[in-house]
Amino acid sequence: MSEVAQRGVRGFRQVDEVVWELPAAARGDMRVPARVFADRELIGQIAADRSLEQLQNVATLPGITGAALAMPDIHQGYGFPVGGVAATELPDGVVSPGGVGYDINCGVRLLALPITAGELGGRAEALVHEISRRVPVGTGHGSALKLTGAALDRLLVRGPGILLAEHGIGTAEDIEHTESRGCLGGADPAAVSERARARGADQLGTLGSGNHFLELQRVAKVLDSETATAFGLRPEQVTVLIHSGSRGFGHQVCTDYVRLMDAVLARYRISLPDRQLACAPLSSPEGRRYLAAMACAANFAWGNRAVLAHRVRDSIARILGQKIATGTHQVYDVAHNVAKLEHHLGRTLCVHRKGATRAFPAGSTEIPGGYRTAGQPVFIPGSMGTSSFVLVGRQGAMEYSFGTTCHGAGRRMSRTGARREITGAELRRRLEAQGIVVRCPSNRGLAEEAPFAYKDVERVVAVVEQAGLAGRVAQLVPLGVVKG
Amino acid sequence: MSYRWLEHTAEVELEIEASSEEGVFVAALRALAQLVGDDRRAERVSRELKVDARERAVLLLEWLDELVYLVETEGLVAEDVERIELSDGGLVAIVRCHRGDPRHLVKGATYHHLAFERSGAGFRATVVLDV
Repeated sequence: MSEVAQRGVRGFRQVDEVVWELPAAARGDMRVPARVFADRELIGQIAADRSLEQLQNVATLPGITGAALAMPDIHQGYGFPVGGVAATELPDGVVSPGGVGYDINCGVRLLALPITAGELGGRAEALVHEISRRVPVGTGHGSALKLTGAALDRLLVRGPGILLAEHGIGTAEDIEHTESRGCLGGADPAAVSERARARGADQLGTLGSGNHFLELQRVAKVLDSETATAFGLRPEQVTVLIHSGSRGFGHQVCTDYVRLMDAVLARYRISLPDRQLACAPLSSPEGRRYLAAMACAANFAWGNRAVLAHRVRDSIARILGQKIATGTHQVYDVAHNVAKLEHHLGRTLCVHRKGATRAFPAGSTEIPGGYRTAGQPVFIPGSMGTSSFVLVGRQGAMEYSFGTTCHGAGRRMSRTGARREITGAELRRRLEAQGIVVRCPSNRGLAEEAPFAYKDVERVVAVVEQAGLAGRVAQLVPLGVVKG
Repeated sequence: MSYRWLEHTAEVELEIEASSEEGVFVAALRALAQLVGDDRRAERVSRELKVDARERAVLLLEWLDELVYLVETEGLVAEDVERIELSDGGLVAIVRCHRGDPRHLVKGATYHHLAFERSGAGFRATVVLDV
């Protein structure tokens, strides 16, 4: 056993090539162990910030079962670490809005065009430019589809299905190829504040800022041809990856319910090491009401990505022609900030995934029929200018991580740190020198998302593959990026 | 009064020092204006804001969320404070804003590392913002 494994990293001992664990007994308030999926290089990076301390705090939540889990892309967040998974058991385990985060159902949608990069040729720049014209970025407004009152309520309850039925946005296959078919049950618009409605009113079909992006890509490598074929992916194919969430609507839902739960902690005799972990029993009125509001925000987010995809198809139609737009299919859409009631190991659990992706294996009835023999698609965006990966859920995810895998490369450097290293203008120049078209109105925002601010995505996906949580299917490389 | 941004892997952590409690709220407003980073200086307006919370740290959170709400729903970036009155249960303030097109979004102010405390002859506060 290596010296690092024997000595441990901040008390975490290596129990497997890619698994590190801190027993529950390590801290008086921990109810379950804290477990990290990482190789030696990544655990060193993870230990550099407060991620591991935050993971231990998650292990103190009432009703948490198994272990507080961290994916290899874990980094320091607020309350929960980003890249964390916590499953709590009904009826008296808790639900924590901070365990989902402000951007409820932030997620990723992959579209595949029926052409190769060679066939796209010199039109990549025109396509990226057209998408940037049609997709509002930044703080957010300018949605061409403003839903209010009962029309908004219908979206909150039914998700993008209502956009197809009432506005002709998307296709039936898009909805079939969306996690939970784009609709979490139990959504109740009465649980959503007027402030949330006001923040989201003008933001359907907008990208946002921060790490949200829209990327034009090509399939650089197929790593599992049988699964890639099942997903409708082939070498050199052009794809578009959309990364956004529930915008101000979801942010306000989180704000409202963290506040509410902070105020009732004493009533439920809950003591926490960090107030941002504020929570309430799943069976309590506050817990049930949060789940009803969160489902609204999740359905809003799927609606948001459906409108973004619609705008991408419009852009494709204008630049490449209607036939190519019509032939553009949605591979899948996954959430990576959400809490869901799921059945694991014979029990109903509330699985909090914050910066983590559901990764159900072949055979799951939650997976669309066409993918059921392959497994659920998962998308792992890399940092800007580097590869992204298409993965597929594996059986190990059900055994070791409540059906979960990682969600990205994971930050390792602060935003100010990234800005100290490079200016936005210089980064733009370097990306363009690699042949990547960049459309981003903010040099500051661009610099903050510099590739070196993130962990090595190839190492991250290698860990989840080795751990048996997900398998690599295809590697995508960027041709152009639109950022907020 | 002064503020600075502390290192945080993914989000931003604000630290404020001020000689008075009011100064903490004014500094938080100026820090947020800098963070959302708007260079368009269109119509100028004043707004009265009223925020309630018994605990000062939570009041700071509510104040920041109120300013975020103004940015996001009306494109109004509050730049300075004309008047601010603190009471045991909250604050009332008149803030000067410009209507702009801010590029950087704040999702919410969090309870993580939230502090508002006496420090020497003045006050010190910290708050982490999800960006």
